Amino acid sequence: MTSDGPSAAPTPVQASRILEREARFRQPTLYLRLALTAAFALAPVLLPSFQLMDLMLKIALFATLVASYDVVIGYTGIVSFGHAMFFGFGAYAVGLSLGKFGAPTYGYLALAFALGVLVSAALALVIGAFSLRVKALFFAMITLAFAEYALILAVQLSHLTGGEDGISPKLPGVFAVSFTAGKVLGVDVNGRVVTYYVVLVVCLALFLTMSRFVHSPLGRTLQAIRDNEQRAEALGYRTFIFQLISSSFGSVVAAVLGGCYAMWVRYVNPESALSIQIMLDVLLMVIIGGMGTLYGGIIGAAVLLTARTLLPDLRAVGTLMFPGSEILQRLTERWLLYFGILFILVVFFFPKGVIGTVREVLSRRNAAR
Amino acid sequence: MPEIILEVEDVHTYIGQHHILQGVSLHARADAVTVLLGRNGAGKTTTMRTIVGLLHPTQGAIRFAGRDIRRLPPYEIARLGIGYVPEGQGIFATLTVDENIRVAMLEEDAESRKRLEQIFALFPDLERFRHARAGSLSGGQKQMLSIARAFVNRNRLLLIDEPSKGLAPIIIDHLVTALRAMKQQATVLLVEQNFQVASALGDDFYLIDDGRTVHRGPMEALVHDHALKKRYLGI
Repeated sequence: MTSDGPSAAPTPVQASRILEREARFRQPTLYLRLALTAAFALAPVLLPSFQLMDLMLKIALFATLVASYDVVIGYTGIVSFGHAMFFGFGAYAVGLSLGKFGAPTYGYLALAFALGVLVSAALALVIGAFSLRVKALFFAMITLAFAEYALILAVQLSHLTGGEDGISPKLPGVFAVSFTAGKVLGVDVNGRVVTYYVVLVVCLALFLTMSRFVHSPLGRTLQAIRDNEQRAEALGYRTFIFQLISSSFGSVVAAVLGGCYAMWVRYVNPESALSIQIMLDVLLMVIIGGMGTLYGGIIGAAVLLTARTLLPDLRAVGTLMFPGSEILQRLTERWLLYFGILFILVVFFFPKGVIGTVREVLSRRNAAR
Repeated sequence: MPEIILEVEDVHTYIGQHHILQGVSLHARADAVTVLLGRNGAGKTTTMRTIVGLLHPTQGAIRFAGRDIRRLPPYEIARLGIGYVPEGQGIFATLTVDENIRVAMLEEDAESRKRLEQIFALFPDLERFRHARAGSLSGGQKQMLSIARAFVNRNRLLLIDEPSKGLAPIIIDHLVTALRAMKQQATVLLVEQNFQVASALGDDFYLIDDGRTVHRGPMEALVHDHALKKRYLGI
């Protein structure tokens, strides 16, 4: 007779789980992750420049957004071009609630997040229910059509959304620009700094939630569906429901991040919240970092956003360094060209993204031992 | 009279425009191994895929333990207790061996844990490479994993499609030993081109030709019927 009591020796399944749990605290990547968290947390203290603080928080925001897209595309195999639309919904929910119809209070801020999440979840369910059953390409096209439609609505309904001029919401209490609470560790604790830390904590919490999600039995089933959908169905899984859960979960996370983004930049317009460019950026970031890795998003976001922030400054550097040479100055102006070369090199040397390729090399090395 | 666990009556299935199954009928006895034999392209795999709901028949009846399953989706058929080991393994390549088995384990209880221990006893390689990516396993190990996944649940019927295809003789011997042990616990419907494997495991046989069942009987009889083997199997 097999006993399930607490005194019984662990079964192979339980033993495997215990090993997995113990291994979590022995992984060198744990210290890397802790160091990264510390770097983000200490940025306002160590980096006096607002530009760098802004870059750090945008990396955190976009890394989490890319991770939420990775849950959908990398872990479930659903190709969606509408992910950034949910990010836009979250941003517009904050913009409209605090800057147009409500007032800068905590109540309206909470309402904005609740509405952003609800609308995104509902729309993700509706789109998924009607189009996840069709072939992957059709789903991608349908989500792209919805994203375009949302962008057009945001531009056309200017009486509601402010059109292309957008909305500049005012934030309540500790998030307000006017808020100040003296100095801590030499840093002015003002509305900006408080917003930085609150958004950072939200990103961290969402990242950990997604990590738990993809490593849960549900996440494992999603990966099985991605690998071989028919096989998963023949094992007893109603794959459509699992795909629906995954795409809705990713959309809800994107909506929360959109709200956080609006809180940080304090401005929402169609181009900054709903444009296809955001979707393309997210796609580039997930490719650079590696699909199905979750953490790849951090590298993807860091590479793309750092390049985009710092490469335009090459022009100034060029003028300083080569005052007599117009050709060399012009060359330093073409930062997009260098970014393109950088992207080609990453794809060439890391075909599965940086993290994906590193993991593959390590796994091959371990297998060879 | 022995219980008939699976009844397939005059099933017709199309793949696109092609009329592949043109009247397949078979009965699988409980606790026996029924082998589907036939040349390449005869319709054996299509029959398996039709039974598990991956292909939809246009005509005929499929009953499992007396219940009509013809119009059920694959996940419902699987949950009734039909395990399927497809041709070409169909493993989840990016998951580890352990994760592949755990995904297949629809319920984790004392019974499934006992079965998992049996699997590791039958296929020690799977325990050895438990935390390796399934995609990095050899062909034989992938086949073992595929069978293990179907066996980990309390399935009443296992459909196994060409388990020996492309494997080295020593691995085939190992598989036959493992499948013999498994047949004590589940009814098996087996598609097998390797007649030695088929005759070592089978109790009953059905011959399929051009999408129709053309002969049936005890495996013992087919082993000695050289004319029938020559005509339909070319051996």
